[in-house]
Amino acid sequence: MSGILIFIREENNMHKNNWQAWLFLLPAMLLFLIFFYRPLIENLYLSFFQWNMISPTMKFVGITNYHSIFAGAELLKIFFNTIFLVFILLILNFVLPYIYSYILGHLITKLQSFYRSALFLPSTISLAVASIIFLWFYNPIAGPLSIILNSIGLESPRWFKEDGLVIIAIATIIAWKSFGYNLIVMLAAMVAVPKELIEAAKLENASNWIVFKRIILPMTSPTALYVFTITIVFGLQYMLVPVNMITQGGPNQGSSNLVYIVYQYAFVFFQTGKSAAFAVLTMIFYVVILLAKYKFIDKKVHYEN
Amino acid sequence: MKISKLKKLWHLPLLLAILVQFWPLIFMISTSFKDMNQIFQASLNPLPIPPTMVNYETVLNNFPFFTFLNNTLFIAIFITVIKLVTSVLAAFAFVYYDFKYKEVIFNSMLLTFFIPFTVLIMPNYLLMSKLGLLNTPWGVILPQLVDGMGIFLMRQTMRGIPKALLEAAILENASPLQVLYKVILPLIRPSATAISIFFFIDAWNEYFWPLLVLQDKGMYTLPLALQMFISAEGGSEWGIAMAVAMLTCLPPLILYFVSQRFILNTFMQSGVKG
Repeated sequence: MSGILIFIREENNMHKNNWQAWLFLLPAMLLFLIFFYRPLIENLYLSFFQWNMISPTMKFVGITNYHSIFAGAELLKIFFNTIFLVFILLILNFVLPYIYSYILGHLITKLQSFYRSALFLPSTISLAVASIIFLWFYNPIAGPLSIILNSIGLESPRWFKEDGLVIIAIATIIAWKSFGYNLIVMLAAMVAVPKELIEAAKLENASNWIVFKRIILPMTSPTALYVFTITIVFGLQYMLVPVNMITQGGPNQGSSNLVYIVYQYAFVFFQTGKSAAFAVLTMIFYVVILLAKYKFIDKKVHYEN
Repeated sequence: MKISKLKKLWHLPLLLAILVQFWPLIFMISTSFKDMNQIFQASLNPLPIPPTMVNYETVLNNFPFFTFLNNTLFIAIFITVIKLVTSVLAAFAFVYYDFKYKEVIFNSMLLTFFIPFTVLIMPNYLLMSKLGLLNTPWGVILPQLVDGMGIFLMRQTMRGIPKALLEAAILENASPLQVLYKVILPLIRPSATAISIFFFIDAWNEYFWPLLVLQDKGMYTLPLALQMFISAEGGSEWGIAMAVAMLTCLPPLILYFVSQRFILNTFMQSGVKG
């Protein structure tokens, strides 16, 4: 009797009880259809119209919204902003947790659960709170960082008012929040690597680096890919709060990006068509990332077989 | 001897990480107990000497703090309960039934985890506006009930239940709902609690969607109220802002302290595929 699904002891029952499954799924499915899949389709529809959210009529404009996005200089700027932000986040929230999870899982023997609990703690704190704290930290006149910089003879830049710097400052807020969660997920994969394998390698005088490269890296790569993906996806999601609270996309769109611009066109500039068109483009950007990830994972599975 | 000493060196980067992760909180706590002079004259000093309660008094006396608290609680509790029920039911269907398009539906729900909320906000905002739910807690709650992660974690947990336990209940002719309620729920309680706490903390912390939906200050949640205390011009009331920040992150922190073992174990599963 083992190895078969419950409630399906006979082949026939599977079809008889099928409707029950749909009943259990119904509440979740309704929510997903109404608040997730409907908006995605509505975006596509709205992207072909010109509308200011208030006027009773919408004007069909074909692909004009897409055309004006690709014709303007703005797309290039926010695309590079996005790439720059993602690049910093990958260092702080992917590479660093990867290394730290190795140290935590295999190089130390004591206090593991203490470090685990302590480093995860910031992940439970609201980004609104984090934004307030970091706004004070980066305050160019009296903030802690400016005092440290002054004491070594440097003048504090206006972190949230200068191109480039603003993205670094925003990235640190996101990184502070995400680091712990990414570390914990990575650590789960690290501790699943058999200790005997590592000890055997060490007996043959393999250095920590060799162990990391030859054993850890291949054995943890599926989880690493997951963390890689959520670093980008969550990072751009978390970005909304500090950018909205502190910079509103400024200075001069210096901290806007592919995700924030969707909000800006809808709720700041009241151009729903362009916002929807940006949303569609952002979706395509994400689908490309996700497809790349699945393709990579598929390859990995084949390799292991 | 030499090896064990070298091993201890690996604690250095970990301690450094702890310092980096904790100083923002230390600054928040100490600044919330400083008066205006101390804040600007000794911003590096982590010890507020002498500590003052003036910021907390201002928050409690001059602002509708308890209204903000109630609003946040109401929204977070409803989101937690509804998400818990819908994700338990959905996970139950995914684990114990076989049906057409099962994989497609599961993946289409998991996908929501990877898509940024931002691409949904305008259509969802327009829907809330049509339904007359703008500026109400329900307008905040409804679109946030979509959660692929919850269903995924519940499914992982339910998969761990030995089939033999369920077979016994089935032989006694229990209905699926009875099996769920009497056999499965008691077994998954630790994980379900951890997942609920994670739902609650997330809903409690949410800033962006409530910002769009809620207009009246009387409707604000705590994270939203925070923004009232800072201004871009630099004339911010830092001490008061930090006191509100402190009170905002206290409930999630307390929940984390009492349930960290469960929460961490649940999260460690979340990256496991399959």
